[in-house]
Amino acid sequence: MRFEDVELGDELPERHPDVSLERVRTFVRAGHHDFPRFTDHEVAKREGLPGAVVPGIMSQALLSAMIHDWAPGSRIRSLDTVFRTPMIVGTKPTCRAAVTDVDDDARTVELDITMTTEDGVTSVLGTAVVELD
Amino acid sequence: MGVTIEEARADWVGVEFETAQYTIEEADLLDWATSVEEADPRFVDPTRDDFQAHPTYTASLTSFRMLPDGFPELGNGRGIDGGKAVTSLAPVRPGDVLTGHSLIADIYAKTGRSGTMIFIVHRVNFENQRGEQVSTVDSRIIRNSD
Amino acid sequence: MILDLHTHSIRSDDGRAKVENYCQWIRKKEIPLDGFVLTEHRQFDDDSDYRGLEDRYQLLILKASEVETDYGHVLVFGVNDDLRQEFDFARIDNPIGEVLEAAKRCGAVAAPCHPGRPNVGLFAHYERKPEVEGIELIEVFNGGSRPGEDDWSVREADARGWAGFGGSDSHIVSRIGFCATEFDDDIRDMDGLLTALRSKRFVPRTFR
Repeated sequence: MRFEDVELGDELPERHPDVSLERVRTFVRAGHHDFPRFTDHEVAKREGLPGAVVPGIMSQALLSAMIHDWAPGSRIRSLDTVFRTPMIVGTKPTCRAAVTDVDDDARTVELDITMTTEDGVTSVLGTAVVELD
Repeated sequence: MGVTIEEARADWVGVEFETAQYTIEEADLLDWATSVEEADPRFVDPTRDDFQAHPTYTASLTSFRMLPDGFPELGNGRGIDGGKAVTSLAPVRPGDVLTGHSLIADIYAKTGRSGTMIFIVHRVNFENQRGEQVSTVDSRIIRNSD
Repeated sequence: MILDLHTHSIRSDDGRAKVENYCQWIRKKEIPLDGFVLTEHRQFDDDSDYRGLEDRYQLLILKASEVETDYGHVLVFGVNDDLRQEFDFARIDNPIGEVLEAAKRCGAVAAPCHPGRPNVGLFAHYERKPEVEGIELIEVFNGGSRPGEDDWSVREADARGWAGFGGSDSHIVSRIGFCATEFDDDIRDMDGLLTALRSKRFVPRTFR
């Protein structure tokens, strides 16, 4: 995907990433965030959560991977997300993104990025600035 | 009488309170990227010259000391993670030694679905062993104050 | 004429949308909006001038406020200098009665938004506090509502004879127009919007 190929309004292919317990365990170990509220449903419930939650930093990484799928070789300059409601481990999230701004001088695009739960509730919402070749 | 938001802002915003170092490990970068189904070889093929950390990897680098000593008791509990903004300025590679400088970037209050909330924005500016700025991470810590 | 009565730009702490990008998105995606109202959190944006964007994109762009009260969030249309002297827009605990009365006295229109939402919605407060006087309209469709919240708002508005309007509550560009309000009359400026809101000649619309 080259800068010239992108237009405001373009929508990235949806992604339904795997947020199984196994994947989350690998992620939190890699990120040195290995806390039971991310990997143990019972502990998370005792903390008042509906179940083990996907870490916010993993949601960001999943959204980044979606952007790279769409534009391999692109450079994510910034990614700014609000964590609105927990994404429960083992559910089926949907990641979406759309081009909402195009900067011809910087050859960057701005994306709206969201991750929604199976029920359609927005879990993560934000923007990313991506530099394209 | 507790400290007001305005007083806390005046006293603490901009105050750098911690410096910590992090050595970047190849295995962690690889596990991070593969666990989120990353396909771009820059992040999953360590044999490449341009192998590097996933763009938001620096968000994981924390000493877990989110507030300075003496910070006032605003709101209740440790707080929850309300969101993060990660800026990537240069690639982070295996073997890099990053230094993170932590400061309080903002403090404000608002009401929302979860009640009355105090937002404390914790910022870390990362530089590598060559003194190059590589990333900034803003974490919005939310504390309930009902 | 269809207006989105509840939007946020980067002027709000949690807003990530630039106003021109809203305009471009509406035109590119052929969103059926004739304009929108910027309702920035806890402030009135006195500085921004969107007349150039209005002309370029043929959209009406008006400015209002979303303030915070002891009964949840309230949209205030027709903010003027007199009203800004009446209460502190930045506070998160303004007494709702004072906001409603001040708005009326200063020629503005104040209306609770997302009233079916926990904590920041009017009806959540009605479950533990007395009802308040002076409400005539509420936002019944909000683009950020979760299942059931808008249904509650519609039921309560019907039961009380209140008029209901819609707004997207968009904080990012691609969510503008999720909900909006269709007016019988042509609206050209804030005075026109105030007249139309008082006349109650409108219906809420949802495009989600």
